[in-house]
Amino acid sequence: MISLEGITKSYEVGKEKIDVLKNIDLYVESGEFTAIMGPSGSGKSTLMNIIGCLDKPTKGRYFLDGVDVSEYKEVELARVRNTSIGFVFQQFHLLPRLTALKNVELPMIYKGIGKRERQERAEEALRKMGLEDRMDHLPNALSGGQKQRVAIARAIVNEPKLILADEPTGALDTKTSQSIMELFSRLNDEGTTIIVVTHEPEVAAFARRIIMLRDGEIVTGEQYSGGLG
Amino acid sequence: MTFSENIKMAFSSLFAHKLRSILTMLGIVIGVGAVIIVVAIGQGGEAALKSEIVGSGNAIEVFYSPSEEELRANPNILIQPAFTEDDIRILEQIPEVKTVVASSSSFSSVSYQGNKADSTLIGINQSYFDIYDMKIENGKKFSASDFISGNRVALISQSLKEELFENDSPIGKVVRIGTQPVEIIGVLEKPGGIFSLNTKDIYVPFNTWKMITGKDHITQITLQAVSQDVITTAGEKAAFQLNAFHNTEDSYQVLNSESLAEVIGQITRIMTLIIGSIAGVSLFVGGIGVMNIMLVSVTERTREIGIRMALGATRMQILTQFLIEATILTLIGGIIGIFFGWGVAAIVAAFAGWPSLISWQVVVIGVLFSTAIGITFGLLPANKASKLDPIESLRYE
Ligand SMILES: Nc1ncnc2c1ncn2[C@@H]1O[C@H](COP(=O)(O)OP(=O)(O)OP(=O)(O)O)[C@@H](O)[C@H]1O
Ligand SMILES: [Mg+2]
Repeated sequence: MISLEGITKSYEVGKEKIDVLKNIDLYVESGEFTAIMGPSGSGKSTLMNIIGCLDKPTKGRYFLDGVDVSEYKEVELARVRNTSIGFVFQQFHLLPRLTALKNVELPMIYKGIGKRERQERAEEALRKMGLEDRMDHLPNALSGGQKQRVAIARAIVNEPKLILADEPTGALDTKTSQSIMELFSRLNDEGTTIIVVTHEPEVAAFARRIIMLRDGEIVTGEQYSGGLG
Repeated sequence: MTFSENIKMAFSSLFAHKLRSILTMLGIVIGVGAVIIVVAIGQGGEAALKSEIVGSGNAIEVFYSPSEEELRANPNILIQPAFTEDDIRILEQIPEVKTVVASSSSFSSVSYQGNKADSTLIGINQSYFDIYDMKIENGKKFSASDFISGNRVALISQSLKEELFENDSPIGKVVRIGTQPVEIIGVLEKPGGIFSLNTKDIYVPFNTWKMITGKDHITQITLQAVSQDVITTAGEKAAFQLNAFHNTEDSYQVLNSESLAEVIGQITRIMTLIIGSIAGVSLFVGGIGVMNIMLVSVTERTREIGIRMALGATRMQILTQFLIEATILTLIGGIIGIFFGWGVAAIVAAFAGWPSLISWQVVVIGVLFSTAIGITFGLLPANKASKLDPIESLRYE
């Protein structure tokens, strides 16, 4: 499903050129549950942003479902983000003035789905996340775990094949983290490909495969084989 | 994403900052209001002026303006009487002419029991009241026999009455014009409209005027055409006949009331345009205010923009969102401004006593203009919003 070939991302800071990602090759099959780990600053978020079509690589090719999206223009990338990818962020990134329901409706607005269908599907997604009695709450009136579940509902509402979660449990306690990861597992069981960035081994333990990044390079791409530091 | 969704979205974010939205709108309200007021007052004033000039209508002014050669040949020509009674007879024979209104005026002092006033003595013929809209406040008008036999009767204007009689009734009193006695039979109403002058006038029948002054020339001739359609023909014929009779080239000329009104219309329109453009400056300033606030709004909502982009909003959709917000802001401001301007213009018109004219064109232009302001001044902030980098925007605190 995802095929990265020689992906390099460089930033020019002053006169210096910094390679944040160095010649990354990565293949993710459809239906996989992958965790990306690594020290802070190793390029995990940068890699996720490129996979999520929010960012473009400096060099290399990115095939999503066999299509070379590194050649895509802005509008096409927006469509890919809208329909093929669901994002979940550490800071939840809900719009504060919209209710849970309206937040979940957002991706469908940009997809051009009609009002009635939008509402039905948003309600269904929230129900799936166990939030049937929180639909009309503003984000401020929700706990961290609830916010993240709204964000996941929003990520899945357009039925993307790929969910990208950058430290989704970073702001949550252990127990809530577990329940959030269980939701991801369930989505994975239903066939959605999931990539999670995390620092926590307990979170990574939900994945079937762990990729270690260090200084912009993949160190291991082996099957999960126990605890990591 | 549909248009109505965009509009809903714009309203909800404008509602989220009510005070700010209202203050921003205020600039547009004042700008549009000012333009509407100026245009409405201009058009109302123009209409009032025109109706005063055109009067009861179909009037043609005849005047004598000798050519250069004639002046050189006879330098005294301008002091000589302009028209004679023969001229009136000629003009009366033109089929398109309904009536010939003639008057002669001279300056005389009028006295009553030691009170004395310098006034204009106007000798008029019977048709005079057909064209000039003069109402009698008390007393009565001249009768037909007053005109024919030159009875010593007079009508006086309000200001002359006040000067000579103060609060007493002048009816039936005998005043002296120079040394000649005449009886006051009526007082004219104060002329309406703010452009009328309160002059001290005393009107007598033309034959009476001849007796009093010992002159027989006519200083002013106004024709009334049979109908509006022949007003030009009547005027042309009148000028041609008079020039033929006096054997002159182009010394007798006519000016019909419509073309005079047209000239005055042009002047008021130019003035309206000038003052309107000054008012337009405030609209421009209001537009800059909108731009300012929208720029602030874009910065404040950087994260929102990043989130929307991550969820699949295209740059075009972000641009549209902010553009519509700015446009709704100015459009609502513009509509309020139209009502505001309308109200003020109506009050001014009521005080000045002329028609309050808000044409639908002004309203349409007001709406289009405020929309255009929104789009113009919203473009820069909207463009800025759409050019944001999604990753940096998501990171924005
Ligand atoms: N716009 C930028 N300009 C310059 N350097 C950047 C920019 N964005 C990211 N970097 C650098 O790229 C490197 C990788 O950043 P990234 O956010 O991908 O790290 P990360 O692995 O997600 O770290 P963390 O675990 O702390 O989230 C960092 O050293 C960062 O300073
Ligand atoms: Mg990161």
